[in-house]
Amino acid sequence: MAVSLTINNEVVTVDADPSTPLLWVLRDHLGMTGTKFGCGIAQCGACTVHVDGRAMRSCQFPLVSAVGTHIRTIEGLSPDSSHPLQRLWIEMNVPQCGYCQSGMLMAAAALLRQIPKPTDDDIDQYVTNICRCGTYARIRAAIHKAAEAMPG
Amino acid sequence: MSENPNLDRRQFIVSSLAAIGGALVVGTRPDFAGAASADATVWDKAAGAGSAEFTPWILIAPDDTVTVRVTTPDIGNGTLTQAAAFVMEELGTSWDRIKVEQASPNRDFKEDGVYSKVGGFLGYFSGRSTGPARMATYLQVAASARERLKAAAGHKWGVPPSEIEASNSILTHVPTGRKVRFGEMVAKAAAITLDREPKPKDQADWTFLTMKAPAKLQIPEIVNGSAVYGMDVRLPNMVYAALRQSPVHGGKLKSCDFNAIKNMPGIHAAVVVEPGKPRPSDLKPPFPFGVTTAQSAVAVIADHYWQARTALDAMPVEWDDGPGSHWKTTEQMNAAAFAALDKEGEKIEKSTGDVEAALKNAGKVVERRYLTPYCEQAPLEPLNGTALVTKDRVEVWHPSQHSQMGFLVAADETGVSPENVFFHQTYVGGGFGRRAFSDDIRMVVAVAKQFPDRPVHVIWSREEATRQGRYRPLMAAKFKAVLGEDGLPTAFHARVSGGPGFFVLGLPDTALASGVVPNVRIESQVVPFHIMTGPYRGPGYNSNTFFVETFIDECAIAARIDPLEYRLRLYGKWGDIGWTKCLKEVAAKAGWGQRLPRGQGRGIAIGNWGGDGKPEAGTTCATVAKVEVSKSGQLKILQIDVAFDTGRVLNRDAVATQLEGGTLFGLNMSLNEELNIKDGRIVEGNYDQYPMIRMADVPRSLHVHFGGLSNNARFTEIGEPPVGPIGPAIGNAIFQATGKRVRTTPLRKHDLSWT
Repeated sequence: MAVSLTINNEVVTVDADPSTPLLWVLRDHLGMTGTKFGCGIAQCGACTVHVDGRAMRSCQFPLVSAVGTHIRTIEGLSPDSSHPLQRLWIEMNVPQCGYCQSGMLMAAAALLRQIPKPTDDDIDQYVTNICRCGTYARIRAAIHKAAEAMPG
Repeated sequence: MSENPNLDRRQFIVSSLAAIGGALVVGTRPDFAGAASADATVWDKAAGAGSAEFTPWILIAPDDTVTVRVTTPDIGNGTLTQAAAFVMEELGTSWDRIKVEQASPNRDFKEDGVYSKVGGFLGYFSGRSTGPARMATYLQVAASARERLKAAAGHKWGVPPSEIEASNSILTHVPTGRKVRFGEMVAKAAAITLDREPKPKDQADWTFLTMKAPAKLQIPEIVNGSAVYGMDVRLPNMVYAALRQSPVHGGKLKSCDFNAIKNMPGIHAAVVVEPGKPRPSDLKPPFPFGVTTAQSAVAVIADHYWQARTALDAMPVEWDDGPGSHWKTTEQMNAAAFAALDKEGEKIEKSTGDVEAALKNAGKVVERRYLTPYCEQAPLEPLNGTALVTKDRVEVWHPSQHSQMGFLVAADETGVSPENVFFHQTYVGGGFGRRAFSDDIRMVVAVAKQFPDRPVHVIWSREEATRQGRYRPLMAAKFKAVLGEDGLPTAFHARVSGGPGFFVLGLPDTALASGVVPNVRIESQVVPFHIMTGPYRGPGYNSNTFFVETFIDECAIAARIDPLEYRLRLYGKWGDIGWTKCLKEVAAKAGWGQRLPRGQGRGIAIGNWGGDGKPEAGTTCATVAKVEVSKSGQLKILQIDVAFDTGRVLNRDAVATQLEGGTLFGLNMSLNEELNIKDGRIVEGNYDQYPMIRMADVPRSLHVHFGGLSNNARFTEIGEPPVGPIGPAIGNAIFQATGKRVRTTPLRKHDLSWT
């Protein structure tokens, strides 16, 4: 079944079963591989995208539910890696293997949209993704620094 | 290794092949106006026209771009960046001119081990970026390239090369100020023969290594989603395969009914993989092929992964479990491991002095038993890989931890000559040992060869990856020590047991067993478990450090000596100042000795990875944990401090990241991780059953301290060392907080309540 989706401000057409998780639509049908598969049960958050501005784990979000929403993926977080979080991720050497970091960035960006100056408790509550390499302390520090840098 | 590695052959070839693309990525790190870059998608890409290959390790293009070839896959530990840093030190280029790419195992094979002969079996193994042989190679080839560039410019200007400086990729004739770019000189430089190769700088003269701390080169690709991991490989005409293997390791597929699913959308085929008998091979893999044996499996192939996965779940499949199903429960296996400790071990791992005599004359004896369970490395990128098999050629795209091993496995599985096997190393979404054995590559190729002429991307579900692991082995230990009048051990008797493939590493090679205690006997016993095992970050060491450092704590308590003071006295006998420096540094920074309220406690532990039982070798790591245990038994980690001794440090920030990450890896291992067995099968499948620490679980005070460094002339590994001491540090802290001693992991399963 062909449906239209709005992803990173572009309208695209996808022919896939409506129950297909958005994750696999992005990755396999549209070739947008920045959004990662980690667990498939909305535990790890590697597949986090924004749906109408809110963080959403796309592995449990079917295509049919995505129709009519605005989806943003890591590829569209900024046009040129200029989002303060992206810049700080580089500057503060945050990622190790990097596989979870698309999801971490999307979770952190959604947090800053909702709470421009988050506390440590806010970060604990909103950024619940898994990083097996253990980059949590740097992620926390980078979110705080980004909050300072962003107009809030 | 020859003194001038790889300068004796194939040196300085000017490439005239197709043009190269490649944009530099500009970073924002303040130390570096521009940043070097990484490109894991340059898969056997031809060199640019006019580029000069300064040995197979370095290539310089007319636009001054320096390409550095790296054998070690980067699993997040910065191997690519460290290789660039070595070249940076000697070449006289600038950081933003350097690109790194993975070295081709195919070329290595065709050119007589041109890469892998540096570093032996670790040549292509991830993690060993700072091995002495590797470092020497990069420094030498960069210095040699620099001197050739200077000689070429000297020839152009008719001046001696000694009057020329190389800096920022520009050659300057110092007396006259004439300048020429590296890129303009590469063709001439490539033709130059030097009478003798230059000697790299003394370490005291370094200006980049040990001084600068560049961030990982691939981060700009990570933050915009463009980095290509194995999971992200996309090829024309590619199909996807979903995989299921015998739920009981060693079992066999009895039947599967493809007809039930063949009309589902997008489905192409179901293929069956049966473990083959090892075939005679002269390929000489770095690990024996036996560890790569494929399990009995079935895979469904479809246009898209979700179609394959859905159909596989719907397909009726029956298994013959085989003998492994006799292991009914975890408790049964734990009991078998403990029972094996009651008789003399089949192998004597170490024997010094006379333990029997010491035990006979014993004053105070401390005897304890410990156990650590099976654990899964659980890298966040599930196992996967892509292969295209044709009649006489194999191509593999894979997130490997050992691309040379993977390359040879692909040749072995297909019977295709290695000359026609091409292995493309991608970025790796975590390794921790899981991707070292190449059993995943064998499975990918075994599936793909049954669906030839199209690229097949085989993906393990998370549940499949968890249940089909090469786990940290289940291990049990019984330790006995005789304490002398000063409270320190005069004899140490250890028995350890575990399933086939368990590691004693981290026990006979401890300071405790290598000179600190005069009488030592260590025995080991293999128990015939069917569960498959393999390397897990800090193999052996990750279990043994928990046993040894919990036991030392128990000895300290028995001797009524403060646990820090006890270790200072004990390890003060070890001829390595780094041990006491680390203990003192971490204790001071953690506030050791300061009073704590009831229900809180501090614990300390220390270990050494890679020292092989010798002082001033390997990496020593000491950790203090501060915990709080509520009366109802809720455990909270309040603070972690870590000190370490690698001798010296090449990149301070890179070392700090590994110490932070390794400590949290060991924290999760000790707190949370356990695989259970039911009727021979692994119970846990996904992160809901195999918990991982998250942001809220990480203490907000987590600090790495540099004051333990001995400045001994060595640069040793940092990925594994922090995994050992964190668990026993927490266990020892729990004892201080509650009076309860934990002797098994995961700690979360213990009742820690107190009154």
